[in-house]
Amino acid sequence: MKITKQLQTDVLIIGAGGAGLRAALAAAEAGSKVIITNKGPLAKSGITLTAAGGMQAPLHPQDSPERYFEDTVQFGYGLADQNLVHCLTGQACAQVAEAERFGAQFTRDETGNLALSQFPGQSLARNLFFKGGGVGLVAALARACRENENISILEDFFVTGLINSCSGNAAISGAIGLNLKNGQLTAIAAKAIIVATGGCQRLWEINDCPTDATGDGILYAFRAGAKLVDMEMVLFYPSVIVWPPSLKGAFVHYEFLDQAILDGNVYDKDGQAILPKPLPVRDEAMRIMAKAIIDGRGTEHGGLLWYVGSSPKGLEAVRKKLDIAQYNYIRKHGVDPATEKIEVAPGAHYLLGGIHIDEECRTNLPGLFAAPECAGNFDGANRLAGSGITAIQVFGAIAGLAAHHWAESNDHCEADPLCLAKEISRVADRLTDCSDLEPAVPRLRDQLCAAVQNFAGVIRSESGLKQLQQSINDIRFELLSVKVPKTTLFNQQLTDLLQLEIMCETAQIIAASALFREESRGHHFRSDFPQQNDGKWLLHTQAGKSENGLTISTKDIVMRQKCR
Amino acid sequence: MFAPATSITAKVFRFDPSKEKEGHLQSFIIKTSEPLSVMTILAKVHDLDPTFACRTSTCFKGKCGSCLIRVNGKNVLGCIELVQPGEEITLEPPSHFQLIRDVVVDFSHPLGAQQKYDEETEQ
Repeated sequence: MKITKQLQTDVLIIGAGGAGLRAALAAAEAGSKVIITNKGPLAKSGITLTAAGGMQAPLHPQDSPERYFEDTVQFGYGLADQNLVHCLTGQACAQVAEAERFGAQFTRDETGNLALSQFPGQSLARNLFFKGGGVGLVAALARACRENENISILEDFFVTGLINSCSGNAAISGAIGLNLKNGQLTAIAAKAIIVATGGCQRLWEINDCPTDATGDGILYAFRAGAKLVDMEMVLFYPSVIVWPPSLKGAFVHYEFLDQAILDGNVYDKDGQAILPKPLPVRDEAMRIMAKAIIDGRGTEHGGLLWYVGSSPKGLEAVRKKLDIAQYNYIRKHGVDPATEKIEVAPGAHYLLGGIHIDEECRTNLPGLFAAPECAGNFDGANRLAGSGITAIQVFGAIAGLAAHHWAESNDHCEADPLCLAKEISRVADRLTDCSDLEPAVPRLRDQLCAAVQNFAGVIRSESGLKQLQQSINDIRFELLSVKVPKTTLFNQQLTDLLQLEIMCETAQIIAASALFREESRGHHFRSDFPQQNDGKWLLHTQAGKSENGLTISTKDIVMRQKCR
Repeated sequence: MFAPATSITAKVFRFDPSKEKEGHLQSFIIKTSEPLSVMTILAKVHDLDPTFACRTSTCFKGKCGSCLIRVNGKNVLGCIELVQPGEEITLEPPSHFQLIRDVVVDFSHPLGAQQKYDEETEQ
């Protein structure tokens, strides 16, 4: 296997979800030539599509970026870097206007103003809603990118890794990727690179993300020398559907159970309501629910029952509220969410941790930038509803502009030949002429996801996490010898295998980080350290590559600082 | 009284244009006593035989269109097309885009009939 195509650009963006597309527009409008890659088809893959479509912005007359800031820091349990929270809260309203400029539309109330709803943890109504949800936002941004002549889009293009540089100002010279449409192994040289590949929620058996969410860019950055923070912090959404099997992975809104919205609840198998009112923030809710399931109050499928059928608001109001794509999807599977009980459990929803960035979205590697969800230090130990979309738009725009400025003042760097050769052989060594192979990847993937779900799910402990480390080692050992047939067109077996390798390495980082943080905070709950310990643990966990493989340390939190 | 059905038979299109002159259908039996979406069936076929290529990403809303597929001769969204246990279905690539391999098509290369398809789906 050899490099058969070479490309060159100012700014390379890996991942064309909401963050990558927004970054591409920012860099291209500033004048950079941009290549953006996506491992699936554009606007038909990626995690943003699954977002319900809420976006937080302090547009209420009594609201302000300051109040949004306070809410975010408080409900992140103090773990967010405050310079980044300043960026997020200060630039949210501007990014609402930008999203509209690119053609996305928000729902409006009866007076014609942008409709705002209040979700748990928000001190004022702060949630806008995109028409068409995450699909509506991505479709608009994708259209704007296609119309921008500075942007080239590579779809069905699987980046396998970053290439370090051997000279110059940048630490990274580009990336290697496989064009799935024709099998071409492609080298892309870039002055600046933005990783925008999203989270790794597919590691958990119960999750509400598409199969794309394997954390590729986080691990590529880590392998190249970037620091990761708070990788133990994953947001578990309280109400992810676990049954029937055709609906597994879709979610129903926890937030709609609020008294002001549909005033429903989650019930155990005997019909007892589980959640207190007013509704707690999501991390409290998911712990209450997980405990109920562990205590044997769940259904035979391991779920609890989300139910709005007895809402005091009346059936008509319920039907009206649920008349959106997400619930029409459920209806098409033969289940009426307005009248039937939906079997749900807490599932991995959003990665709070990730690649460490500063307020310019710079990583510790010169020339390498990251934009959420794969960037990690602005949420802390929890995230309020609607901040995910705000974050990908605010930091996507910042990353795009910062990468443009870097590309303006720095030249291309030469690729480190050793790194390049290693990356090519890492991929090529997986291919074989033998075609009659026992398929190991689906089995090993299921084993990995079951182990992560059991031991790094809602409730964790030292003994469980050590068992997880052992399971991952066993799976990685078996995976070492797995090969897949040479296939030129759409070698999905190869991408499945490379993604499983990524998932295994990422799971090791998550297990080690979760073991290291000996306290409970937000979405990280340790049964052996059930208390939050601000005296000792108001710190990030930091994961870095070392000679021994993986080193976990702590990193100070950035306290109040202005965003430039 | 019949025993309840416990499987779905999926006949899937197999074709690697770089190796073969024409495609053929291959049968798989998916064990299930619950109805499954076409998309879930495809993912299960891919797990049984990973050499079979299909798209697996979804938006969970029936909106993004990545699961577009031809089921028994009709182009549909696979994520919201339910199949009951006991049924037999034929799964082929959607006809309005250029084929890459098996049932995977290149969405950036629509064929001539794309415009008509857009009109149909917008209704």
